[in-house]
Order: sequence, then structure tokens, then C-alpha cells
Amino acid sequence: MNYPGYRQVSGPDLMKDFQKHAESFNVEFLKEEVISVDFSQEDKLIKTKKGKEFTAKAVILACGSEPRILNIPGEKTLRGSGVAYCATCDAEFFEGEEVVVVGSGDQAIEEGMYITKFARKVTVIVLHDEGILDCNKVSAERAFNNEKMKFIWNSTIEEVLGEENVEGVKIKNLKTGSSSELTCQGVFFFVGMIPSTRFINNSGIEMDKSGYIPVNDRMETNLEGIYAVGDNRVKYLRQVVSAAGDGATAAVAAERYIEELNDFHANVLQSDKKILLLFFNVLVNESLEFSTLLETIIGENSNDYKLCKVDMSTKKNLAEKYEIEEVPAVVVLDKGKVIKQLDCSMDKEKLKSQFDAISC
Amino acid sequence: MSLEQLNSNRFEEIIYDNCEPSLVIFSRKDCHVCKEIVPMLEEMKPQYEGKFGFYYVDVEEDKTLFQRFSLKGVPQVLFFREGEYRGKVAGKVEEESIEEKIAEVLGV
Repeated sequence: MNYPGYRQVSGPDLMKDFQKHAESFNVEFLKEEVISVDFSQEDKLIKTKKGKEFTAKAVILACGSEPRILNIPGEKTLRGSGVAYCATCDAEFFEGEEVVVVGSGDQAIEEGMYITKFARKVTVIVLHDEGILDCNKVSAERAFNNEKMKFIWNSTIEEVLGEENVEGVKIKNLKTGSSSELTCQGVFFFVGMIPSTRFINNSGIEMDKSGYIPVNDRMETNLEGIYAVGDNRVKYLRQVVSAAGDGATAAVAAERYIEELNDFHANVLQSDKKILLLFFNVLVNESLEFSTLLETIIGENSNDYKLCKVDMSTKKNLAEKYEIEEVPAVVVLDKGKVIKQLDCSMDKEKLKSQFDAISC
Repeated sequence: MSLEQLNSNRFEEIIYDNCEPSLVIFSRKDCHVCKEIVPMLEEMKPQYEGKFGFYYVDVEEDKTLFQRFSLKGVPQVLFFREGEYRGKVAGKVEEESIEEKIAEVLGV
């Protein structure tokens, strides 16, 4: 495992350190499977397999990914009886035997090479034309030079054969369509990873065709208050270090979102006075000048209004909610309802007259 | 609660002579999947105290045992009742699958 500050550490050990660190900040951990979610309301609802329910203002999805299962006959029933997914765990059980590896990525080829330390022969089933592997060049070169490694090109596996234990595999040639059988005692599957996001299939969360969740640079999904981080989001590099970065971003974004929500409830939606919701941006001078003007008018004239300033650069959710794209902009709210949008004139009299119109 | 490690003799005694309904995880030290399953079983063990035994076999230390059950790989959890082998689950299994299997073996 590769992580800054650690010269050598295993995945599980690194995760233990992460957990301890988080626990020192009083983070609570609960190990349960989530089976359904309802993200359609402001309070998000999460249900677990054991019947527990949780609500939250914000949810960060960090479900990771899992090895792809081909779902072919024999794959599941012969698991542990010759079907395997981890060479360092299981390779030794195939001492002197014949093993098939499915896949040609880095993991498939590197673990395949490891299996040759024990097995008599390792046959790699590759989807592509002769000579083409998905793995890095160094590993490919090494694999081609390894006498125990054999390759079957343009092919995939249709079935794992055997009753009690694996006795062989049925191989389909994708070019000719013909099937053949190969005797072996073990089959190792390394056919890539899939995101563990099936349980949110009907939640309204946008996903690509493989099930990865697209997010923006704040890790926000298409649903307000829902964030996705780590391996289950669309991204360029899937490593612990980039996942941790995602998590930091989402945590800050979610915290700001909740703060915004709470503020808004307390000061705006439940206000006795009418609210002037002023959207500004410190980079837009006009919006700052307008802000000063508006404050002057309110100070001079009216106790009926309360001014609430919204920084567009950090409170994008609020801007979206009221469909504000440009600053300055002012929305007038009465008990949480929009009653008017002001014309943001820099002419004091013109601006003032708009208040008179509301009051009547 | 840590699992009692069985060697061949102790295995005979508990599984076949005492006929205790039990599960036995076949594991090895450097297998990362085992490192996830063993703590899970340790956590489950107290709930089954007196009803179902939880044991551990290291396949490197006791080769004869895994050869006897012709196992191909670790971790594998084997289930026994009244001295009879009642099936196994392999690989990275969830707590629920173990619970279901125990219920099945006990005939609950």
C-alpha cells in the first residue's frame, strides 16, 4: 500500500490507523449494510439490513468498489474449491497443479506470475488479439518470458467445470465463436472492479453506465446535500491518497452546506420581518456598492425589512434555489415565500420606490 | 473474544468426540481476506457462547486438516454438527451469511 508518510503498510493496517485517528475526534463507527435510501427530502433517510434507520442533512457516499463477478456457471458454487480471487491468499494450494487466470490487467498478470511459483502451468485467458495485454509493459514483458505462463487470445470463459472441485473451464473464442474445454484445478478471476453503488440505483443519484457517480470539484452529486468520494466516483486515479483528498473536500463542503441550511432556517424562513435576500460577490464591485446603498435605505426608512446578505461564491446552493445567476440581486421573502425580486437600480429614489410598492 | 486454535488432535476431540456444533475457520497469517474475517468471527463468538463453537485452524501449521477437507484456498469457514460436516462458506463473506449458516446447521 502506498500512502504519504508510510514506507510500508498493508491496506487493513492503514485503515485501522485511519479509524483510530477518526475515533480520537469522537467519530462513531457502525458496521452495517445499507439496503435503501431516500434522498428526495431535505432530511435524507438511510435504512440498514438490520432494520436501523438514520436521518441526516448531508450524506457522503464512500462505498468503494468490489471485484467484478462474471456470473457464469460454477463461479459461485466452486468458490473456495478451486475458484479464487486472491493469489497471495490461495496460490500455494495449487502446488504442482494447472491454473487458469482470467483477465490481463496489472493485477491479473502480476498475480498470475506469483501463481507460477507454485503451479505447474498458468494459462491466461485474454480478450484481446495475440500479444495485447491490458497490463503495464514491464509486467507484460516478464510474463511473456516466463516459461510457465501460457496465453489463450481472443477468448473468454463461459463456465467453470467440476462437481466438488474445479476440474476445468469452458473457453469461448470470440473471433470464431467456437468453444473448447481446458483441464485445470484452479481458476483465478481478475476481471476488474465495479463500484459498490447498486443499492442507490433508484435514489435519483446520477451514475454513469458502469455505476460510477459523477461529482463536481466539491464532490457534490446531482442531489443537494449528497456527496460522493473515493473509488465509487468518476475519477482519474483510484488510490487511498486521492480518496482521502476527496473525503476532506466533501467534509468541508457538507459542513458548509449544513451551516447554510441551519442559518437559513433560523434567520430567513422563520423571520417575522420581511427578508431582503441580497446576493453579492466580493469580486463584483457593483454588487458591493449596491449593498451599501441598500443598507442606507433600510437604515433610513424602514424597520419592516431585515437584510440578509448571501455570498454567491460560497453559497451556490442558495443561489440555485432562487435561480440567481448574476449579482447584485435581491429577492424579497415574506415568511419564507418569494413575493418579489427587486430591480437592482443604483438610483436611490428608484430603488426606494420599489419598497413603497411592496408595502401597499 | 479470540478463537481457540485447533491442531489435529484437538480437532478430533471437539468436532468428532464431543460432537459440539461448531464452525472452524481455516486461515493463514499472511492472507488479507482472513484478516477481515477472523475479527468478525471473534466479535460474533460471545453471542453464541454455549450454543455454537467458534474455532481456528492455521493451514500452514496443520496441513493434514486442510488436506482432509480438500480445501483450495483460505479463508474458508467449515460447519459441523454431531460430528458431521455440514458445509462451508468461502472467501470474503458477510456476517449475515455466517448467521444464516449457523441457523441452518442448528436447524433453527
